[in-house]
Amino acid sequence: MQIYLPIAEITVDPFVIVFLGAAVGFLSGMFGVGGGFLMTPLLIFYGVPPAVAVGTEASQIVASSVSGVLAHLRRKTVDLHIGGYLVAGGAVGAVVGIFIFRYFRAIGQIEVFISIAYVVFLGAIGLLMLMESLRALLREPGAKRTRRKHRSAEWMAAMPFAMRFRRSGLYISPIPPIVLGFLVGMLASVMGVGGGFIMVPAMLYILNMPTKVVVGTSLFQIIFVTAIATMLHAAANQTVDILLALMLLTGGVIGAQIGARAGRRLKGEQLRALLALIVLAVCARLFFDLALPPDALFIVGPAL
Amino acid sequence: MRTLLSILTAMLFAVSAQAADIAVALTDDRVEVDANFAGADLTLFGAVTGVENPAEVFDIIAVVTGPEGDFNVRPLEQRGIIWLPGEPWTVKNAPRFYASSATRPISDIAPLPDQAQYQLGVDNIAAVDLYADSDAPHPFNAAFLDALETGGQYQDRVGGISFVKGALFTIDASLPADTPVGDYGVAVYLYRDGVMVSRDSAELRVNKVGLERRIYDLAHQRPVLYGLLCVAVSLLAGWIAGLAFRKS
Repeated sequence: MQIYLPIAEITVDPFVIVFLGAAVGFLSGMFGVGGGFLMTPLLIFYGVPPAVAVGTEASQIVASSVSGVLAHLRRKTVDLHIGGYLVAGGAVGAVVGIFIFRYFRAIGQIEVFISIAYVVFLGAIGLLMLMESLRALLREPGAKRTRRKHRSAEWMAAMPFAMRFRRSGLYISPIPPIVLGFLVGMLASVMGVGGGFIMVPAMLYILNMPTKVVVGTSLFQIIFVTAIATMLHAAANQTVDILLALMLLTGGVIGAQIGARAGRRLKGEQLRALLALIVLAVCARLFFDLALPPDALFIVGPAL
Repeated sequence: MRTLLSILTAMLFAVSAQAADIAVALTDDRVEVDANFAGADLTLFGAVTGVENPAEVFDIIAVVTGPEGDFNVRPLEQRGIIWLPGEPWTVKNAPRFYASSATRPISDIAPLPDQAQYQLGVDNIAAVDLYADSDAPHPFNAAFLDALETGGQYQDRVGGISFVKGALFTIDASLPADTPVGDYGVAVYLYRDGVMVSRDSAELRVNKVGLERRIYDLAHQRPVLYGLLCVAVSLLAGWIAGLAFRKS
């Protein structure tokens, strides 16, 4: 069976798409990550135009974050105060990202630009995760983890407009969260990712937010920012394929449930090492696509 | 269908002592692209009148041309360790679909001036000047034709034209699944001994229909509304999915 995607303007096998959604959903359920950074490259490998892959993935992340955000709001594990500043920065970042996206699309380099962005980010994050988990796996079982100090860094308190964020127990300037939100918002627009894989570590290790509120607050930011990115991609580039997004979502929710169950049986460090290897494999594939001599020495496409 | 038959009957029973003539008609002048569109097979009907046993002495060339568009051709250049697309070469107003069928190879049927004038065969598409002021094929234009032939948007083939009974013949043409929407032209040419005896043309429209069409139209005509709708649908779908799996 084949389905014609109205915006991507290609025909796809719906079972492959649902399966793709399920596979990435499985990984995101297992590892507790969003999965956008895997889904967008996989869609490109399947033949979806990169611009459509990015725009569509933004809308799929909106859908796959809803239930998580609601659950965290019910459990009051969202710092709405700091979240507000993250969203504000993210909104501006998403708009800037769209301009960058449009610029590279206009000069015909958007596909290469997306690929390079993915190689850099997946490569860096995959390596960091791999080293971190290997170190943890090699550490003697009895050794104690050094406890993380929960204290706002002084340099952030010294910046202007410092204020108290009660749920996170921080006294810092809102400028670092705004900047963080901005960077992640830009990634959402340019790469079609939620950006949790950057935001969560940054919240933990730079902002020093307590672990309890980190995931909820990052999801809170992600849902707003990817919704804005979806809007902007639809309005400015016409690259959101809602039919594709719904098919991915169908597979995604099922995969995530199975993945979450499978994840409980594996140890954290093993999981992280496994995810790191998957991330590096996708990175390597993208890199070789860029670096190996191409099959055809010319690219032919419609002039925009 | 009735008009088609009446045309054909009229053609067949027309005063037939005169010069040979060719006519073409479509069984359906609309092709509709919906979600399950996996390409369409077109059957074009034609008739050659004014002679007996046309299959023995005549050659036919049929050309289906899709709507036009501009294309960019970019050479890939190695920069450092990766390959980057270079400056684009633009091919303007080229058909986005082109298919020719002929009873024999076109070069055996039609003289060169005719091939150029009527754009017979992929190499003669006027928008793509393959031999632009030189004897060697123009590299960008050659790459363009290559890419579209590989992609199935441009096709030349011998065959696909069959005489059904006496003067009646059919032309089989197939549109690929990703064929562009818009107005298509169908032209048929009748040749005898390298001379064009007659020609005729017809028109065809490829439309997107159903939900896909509504989505496409909405996305391109009311992009802001479509964006809002995408966000709303995503939120709703995510919420429903969350409910479905809540306690399971």
